[in-house]
Amino acid sequence: MRSELNEIQLTERWLLHQLSETEAANLHARCMVDEAFAENVEAQRNAYRLIRHYARARERRRLETIYRQLMQEGDFAQHLHSIFT
Amino acid sequence: MSTVTEDAIIQLYRNSFPAIARMVRQKGGTLEEAKDAFHDALLIYMEKEKTGRLSLQSSPKAYLLGIARICWLRARGATASLPAAFDIAEPEDADQEEIAQSLQSSLINSGKKCLELLKAFYYDHCSIQDIAGRFGFNGARSASVQKYKCLEKVRNHLKTQNSYAQ
Repeated sequence: MRSELNEIQLTERWLLHQLSETEAANLHARCMVDEAFAENVEAQRNAYRLIRHYARARERRRLETIYRQLMQEGDFAQHLHSIFT
Repeated sequence: MSTVTEDAIIQLYRNSFPAIARMVRQKGGTLEEAKDAFHDALLIYMEKEKTGRLSLQSSPKAYLLGIARICWLRARGATASLPAAFDIAEPEDADQEEIAQSLQSSLINSGKKCLELLKAFYYDHCSIQDIAGRFGFNGARSASVQKYKCLEKVRNHLKTQNSYAQ
């Protein structure tokens, strides 16, 4: 892999707590002196959050589709509406 | 990886949602609120199942009822605590939500396959071998390299959008 991807892999192992204490301390120290690296780490941390946000949005849409399907079943919909009337 | 299948979700829906709807109704809520709380609870259930951390002390229905109750209370502004699985993933306020959606839209336009690949690995916890097969890569090595390229793409996209802060 090219060096940028190796750095992403290393950062990932750090963020996922897969590095030794010494390796993690080295990266932490690098963040203190290397602004570009620190920015990359922060962006990568946010990338994982965004991926999870995207995934959850996809799952919510899937659940909405199932809800709409079930609500087209007369018995199911009637049962639910009876609870709220 | 263990996933909750479509059929299993439908079964959970049929078995559990009416009880949750009754609970929400008794507390003065609406059908829409019941549905939202149930979906939040189902997401927690599914995520725990995917990561092998679902440890049921009772039936799935009782578990979903308990979690949905907390989700509904939180949606109403109460300060009930959720399980650790549902902690930091989503922006809490509307502004952050809007920014995340905007970022997603631009990312989806530029590379939906990348987001799907990343979702499969980081959220669905598919193995890299499974991902290689599903996305048509020659092998695990190619899939792994592509995964990091996709992550780089998202990361670089975020670096150009400094508004998506913690």
